[in-house]
Amino acid sequence: MEAIGAHDVSKEYGSETALDRVELTVEQGETFGFLGPNGAGKSTFINVLLDFVKPSSGTAEIFGNDCQENGVAARERVGVLPEGYSVFDRLTGKQHIEYAIRSKEVEADPIEILDRVGIRDAAEQKATEYSKGMAQRLVLGMALVGEPDLLLLDEPSTGLDPNGAAEMRDILREENERGATIFFSSHILEQVEAVCDRVGILQDGELVAVDTIEGLRESLGGGTKLVITVDALKNGTMETIRSVGGVETALARDDATVEVTCTNDAKMDVVVELHQAGVDVVNFRTEEASLEDMFIEYTGSAHR
Amino acid sequence: MTWAVIAKQDARTTVGARSVKVLLGLLAFVVLLFAYIYPVVGGDTISTARFPGFVSGALATLVPLVALLLGYNAVAGERESGAVLLSLSLPHSRRDLVLGKYVSRTGLVAGTLLVSLVGAGALVVYPFGELDVVPFLAFVLFSLSFTAVWSGLGVAVSLAASTKRRALVAGFALFFLFVVVWDAVTGALQAGLTAVELIDGSLPDPLRFVVGLEPGRAFGRLVTGFVDPTDSIEGAWYLSKWVSLVVLELWVVGPMALAFLWFDGRDLS
Repeated sequence: MEAIGAHDVSKEYGSETALDRVELTVEQGETFGFLGPNGAGKSTFINVLLDFVKPSSGTAEIFGNDCQENGVAARERVGVLPEGYSVFDRLTGKQHIEYAIRSKEVEADPIEILDRVGIRDAAEQKATEYSKGMAQRLVLGMALVGEPDLLLLDEPSTGLDPNGAAEMRDILREENERGATIFFSSHILEQVEAVCDRVGILQDGELVAVDTIEGLRESLGGGTKLVITVDALKNGTMETIRSVGGVETALARDDATVEVTCTNDAKMDVVVELHQAGVDVVNFRTEEASLEDMFIEYTGSAHR
Repeated sequence: MTWAVIAKQDARTTVGARSVKVLLGLLAFVVLLFAYIYPVVGGDTISTARFPGFVSGALATLVPLVALLLGYNAVAGERESGAVLLSLSLPHSRRDLVLGKYVSRTGLVAGTLLVSLVGAGALVVYPFGELDVVPFLAFVLFSLSFTAVWSGLGVAVSLAASTKRRALVAGFALFFLFVVVWDAVTGALQAGLTAVELIDGSLPDPLRFVVGLEPGRAFGRLVTGFVDPTDSIEGAWYLSKWVSLVVLELWVVGPMALAFLWFDGRDLS
């Protein structure tokens, strides 16, 4: 069964296109990472699923319920950590969880949930006094209430320190093992790479790629990354490398190191070309392309 | 239908604010004060049927103020901060959210008013007054409807405005127009038309109808027509107390319904 189905979802703000005919299916039980630079439209897409934003055209469904026509049914089995929320005035952390329990009409122990997200000690404290990271944990706790079938999380690690982000990933893994589908957005790649079965990359409102991490690697010309150390980079050396057939990207890491992503066949061509251009190759090694390289490749958001 | 969860939650946090306690306390205090004074200054016949005519003017000013101040922030503040997104991330519809907020805010003012009016009735009856049950019950119902009107207007501006400040400004604009200057404008219109000799001292019935559409006027006509035995209303059929009843009830549902339709179609982030 489809946990999320988006069909030709577009959203325009005046002449700005925030989402451009996004077509996406997330199957039940998957952990899906929704990747893209800030402002790519990730939140807009999630907000369409939550009916905070009405799409200009297209339809979105959660477990077969239309998110706009039948929003309550769509959100019934979903735990949400939205973007741009704030906690309620005058309510303690525990009261927030209790509110979620009553709203979802389930039985649960608020303290147990606060313990799981690591803020048990702050249970009786007003949530407005929480740090951003604690608020993020609290709202994750609200999302976990009632063992939802789908977790919809918009930049869940915002405000968390590396330790907290790792704890968050552990919780996501546990939830996925329990059977929940996880859909979360991020602009931080390593988090997505660490837990996701599949990723989608959104760029300027367009879904430019949806694949497994391995699939993305393959689609990137075998995903070979070449790290070449030369005696010195000259003017035009980068252009020389880029002109070799099969080279996808070439980045100067410093004034003597070049990173090249290319097809397997092109590796030697690069070295030969450099030699012919009069550049001495001191050392070279190959690495498997990381998602970071792919991400840069897809979104063109590198600092070149 | 989860509006009851929202209403309960909202009522609990709203009443926790000191400003709200002060406002509700003020309302109760004024109603009871009027009931305390009334037997002293009310003339020969002291009864719960005549007391409404004595207190309704004060209610026509105080209820709008208290209900607006409680209502204007029902949704706008949480929308501005983003807390509304937490509620709507849960399985609540926007309709449940709005209904819950409305029930909570109206309930707080109406509940306070109900208790104060019952207390006021007791102060009027004992030791020397008469108890006229039916007119007094009618008055209580009209007062609660009038509360619902202004609480509804408050929640309506809260839905229509995207920030708390704008909602407050819009609420005060309504209060200023309907409560503060309406009588003066009516008087000026009357004087002006008389001066140019279009009318002879009093407004013609159609104009009286238009002027009487204001909620406070409709409320006043209901008290005059149904409750107060010493007074009655005259004029064309559309000036009757029954039409006023319809006008007041339209004020209860109309602004809320329009504001909800607007809010329901909006992007919230």
